[in-house]
Amino acid sequence: MREIVRWFLLAVLPFTLVGGKLALAADPGSMLKAMADPAGAPFFPVVMQVLQVLTWALHMVFVYTSIGGLFIAIYGFIKGGERWHRLSKATIELSKVSVSLAIVLGVAPLLFYQVIYDPLWYTSANLSAWWYVLFIVFLLIGYYFIWGAYFMKEKPSLSLFMSVVGIVLLLLVGFIIHVVNYQALFPEKWVSWYTSNGTTMNISGWNIYAFNIFRYLAFLVFPSISVSGVFLMLYNWYFRNREDMDRDYLDWAGRVGAKFALYAGIGWLLFHILYILTIPQDWNAKTSIFTWLSVLGLVLCAGVILAAQKDPAKMAIPSLLAGGVAILLIAVFREYLRIASTARFGYSIYNYKMNLEFLSPLLFFGTLLTGIILYAYAWWMAYRAGKTPKGKVYEASEMEHHLGDASVFIVVLWAVVFIGVGLIVIVRNYG
Amino acid sequence: MDVLGFYPMWYVPTIGSGLTIALIASIHVMASHTSVGASILLAYLATKAYKENQPQIYNYIKKYLLGLLVFSYVSGSISGPGIWFSATVVNPRGISALIHNFVWVWAAEWIWFVAEVTLVYILFYTLGRIDQRSWLRLAWTFAIGSWATMYIIVGILSFMLSPGHEKWFETGNILDAFYNKNYFPHLLERTSFMFAIAGTVGIAIASLMRKEINEKTYKDIVKTLSYWGIGGTVFGLMFFAWYVSTLPQRSDIILNNVIPIYLKLPIMVIILLVLANFLWTAIRPTAARFWMAYPIYILIFFAGIYPEEKIRETLRKPYVAGEFIWVNQIVSRDVPAKGIKSEVPIINEKGLLTVNPFVPEGLKKITPENEIMAGKAVAVLQCSGCHNVTGSTGLRPFGQKFAGMTDPNAVYNFLVSYMRENHPPYMPKLTGTDQEIKALSAYIAYMISKGGSVSAKIEVPKSSAEAIRR
Repeated sequence: MREIVRWFLLAVLPFTLVGGKLALAADPGSMLKAMADPAGAPFFPVVMQVLQVLTWALHMVFVYTSIGGLFIAIYGFIKGGERWHRLSKATIELSKVSVSLAIVLGVAPLLFYQVIYDPLWYTSANLSAWWYVLFIVFLLIGYYFIWGAYFMKEKPSLSLFMSVVGIVLLLLVGFIIHVVNYQALFPEKWVSWYTSNGTTMNISGWNIYAFNIFRYLAFLVFPSISVSGVFLMLYNWYFRNREDMDRDYLDWAGRVGAKFALYAGIGWLLFHILYILTIPQDWNAKTSIFTWLSVLGLVLCAGVILAAQKDPAKMAIPSLLAGGVAILLIAVFREYLRIASTARFGYSIYNYKMNLEFLSPLLFFGTLLTGIILYAYAWWMAYRAGKTPKGKVYEASEMEHHLGDASVFIVVLWAVVFIGVGLIVIVRNYG
Repeated sequence: MDVLGFYPMWYVPTIGSGLTIALIASIHVMASHTSVGASILLAYLATKAYKENQPQIYNYIKKYLLGLLVFSYVSGSISGPGIWFSATVVNPRGISALIHNFVWVWAAEWIWFVAEVTLVYILFYTLGRIDQRSWLRLAWTFAIGSWATMYIIVGILSFMLSPGHEKWFETGNILDAFYNKNYFPHLLERTSFMFAIAGTVGIAIASLMRKEINEKTYKDIVKTLSYWGIGGTVFGLMFFAWYVSTLPQRSDIILNNVIPIYLKLPIMVIILLVLANFLWTAIRPTAARFWMAYPIYILIFFAGIYPEEKIRETLRKPYVAGEFIWVNQIVSRDVPAKGIKSEVPIINEKGLLTVNPFVPEGLKKITPENEIMAGKAVAVLQCSGCHNVTGSTGLRPFGQKFAGMTDPNAVYNFLVSYMRENHPPYMPKLTGTDQEIKALSAYIAYMISKGGSVSAKIEVPKSSAEAIRR
């Protein structure tokens, strides 16, 4: 596995050499200003920003378990033996479900981000357009390999092969999105990159202009293993009281998870600090409180996981919470970097033109409320079903039936209001 | 210096960058319509299983759900953002305009999107592990939630074609934009056809299970799917006719005069084939065969959805969003309510090459040395959304469109009289300074004289680049 990671990184590192010297046509400040969509933001930019940070953190949890689940599965298949095979099967399952969740949860942060940072995202994506489209293709192929690994889980060598292809493609997808995010942070270089210092127009979309290995390792690779380790601790905690499950195996899985979480967590912290050291001086970011809070979050998380080594099941929830805080602080730090970079050119999302309106935010928050009720019911029932031994049927309580009725009612009500408003507007405008 | 908010241009010779959207969108439509249609069909079948005490129907549902997970939810959930990703690089300003108007609507759709994906897993894993009533509730919330993703996105898709009403340009009201003239016919048409799509694959799945379930249940399942499929096809056709009647005038002209018959005919043929299959299986459920239903399902993609997506994209022209952004990313009219100004006057005055920040300095001022390359840059920036501007094959190629025109003056006269002063309703007006149109003409005459095909590379002549440096 190490070899694969090494070769992958060796393959992508040369891209860091591509790039150009600074040669400006239009000044980045007026360019950024011109690129901001003339329609303006439909709501307060700060709200978009907060939602973006929160939903990104949630998205990343499942990105991490997608990749980390496969990593542990591959490790288990290589180790061999009944327990490791069983664990590999469980983590492939984790990865398979996580990819779905990572995809759906990834929509929201990108959506909110594009409202306030459109100049950054669209430029960067278009600089490497083919790669950006290939993100989808690689993800699709990679996900089918993960499903393949899941269907072949009783045949370790085949499942191992498919897991390796799956993880390579997920890391490649992560690499592409890393590049697009990273290029976006250098508006002063965009024109010289695209025009190769004024000599051409790189319209092919095949170029990659910037990559930071430390950021890639700190934001994607190490946390994947660490967070998946915490999920193994949760796996231990959740199933250990189920009578038809092997408790010794679960406790062992919890200990394995705690070790993965700790060792990868140390790598995470190390590369996070190394990345901070590579941030350009003129961003004035190294001394920011947000930068050091993100480090503090990781130290706190490592501390809790260290304490969890003795009894992983007992410390599973505190470890999850500590991990959640660390990821949230990193999300804030990552957002702060955008502010620091663009502030150099006078761009501030807080000055983004606004065409304030209240109807569509009302729709969103109303839907969110409906969704929360629905999610609560659905997840609760899934939780209860998972706690029930195989072969038995969980009978819902009266209270749960009421909650079920309420969730159906509110979903139907939402649909009626949505369609009803539509009919009224159509009659008013065209009747 | 005047700068407009253009992004770096991506050009794919021969096939055009837009093809990536068409392909990804077709995959998405196929997957999403299958899954949304199936969500309602399966909830209905689950209700039937519960009320009529036919537990074997659950075996069928479980198999269908697995099929949905593996096909629809893998390809559908990735190709959905895929449309967005491809639009980001094909037409960044178009997608940006949509996001800046509809971000909250999309965010609301996202809530249902998350519900849909989590529920399909929960339904699959909890079937037979929680009591039937509870599972049924989850199935119906899944069905309604899945349909919600459709009735939200249809409003945005309809707006892309046209806000439907001049009012929106003045009010900027989200309700006027979203519930536009063709919202309901569009929604009802898709809703109907989705049952036909999900029903077709549903019959294929059922026919694989013929020996696993008793004959009565088997017939019941196939008949139910067939009835829903017949209804979906017939109502789909009716709502399609209604949808066509709500098209803007320019789209009507395009549909009748520009869209080739080889795109329209397969759609009609596949609809009739799907209907015939449903009629057959409704009368004789035991005659349902996998080798018949599944190829029809695959044909729906190639003969139905792909041509439909191509037609829908063409009908939108010359715009990509809300009748104010052209396919070449230029804002073409004022939207007073949003404070949006047309960019056409400034481009005509200063030049497209001048106002685009990603054009090298050495091409901004046109000279005899750089004229051909400047003309090629104009072609790529202004025409490559719909044309192969460097070859004779593929997407409406310049090599064919201008065949034989090796005289720059002849090209110039054609461009000015046909593309600038009297442009067809499906094409944006040619913009830029007179000098730029002359450069474009020189480039076109040059590429035709080279056999209609040249390299896509844009090179700034050394003398121009050095002149700028000096």
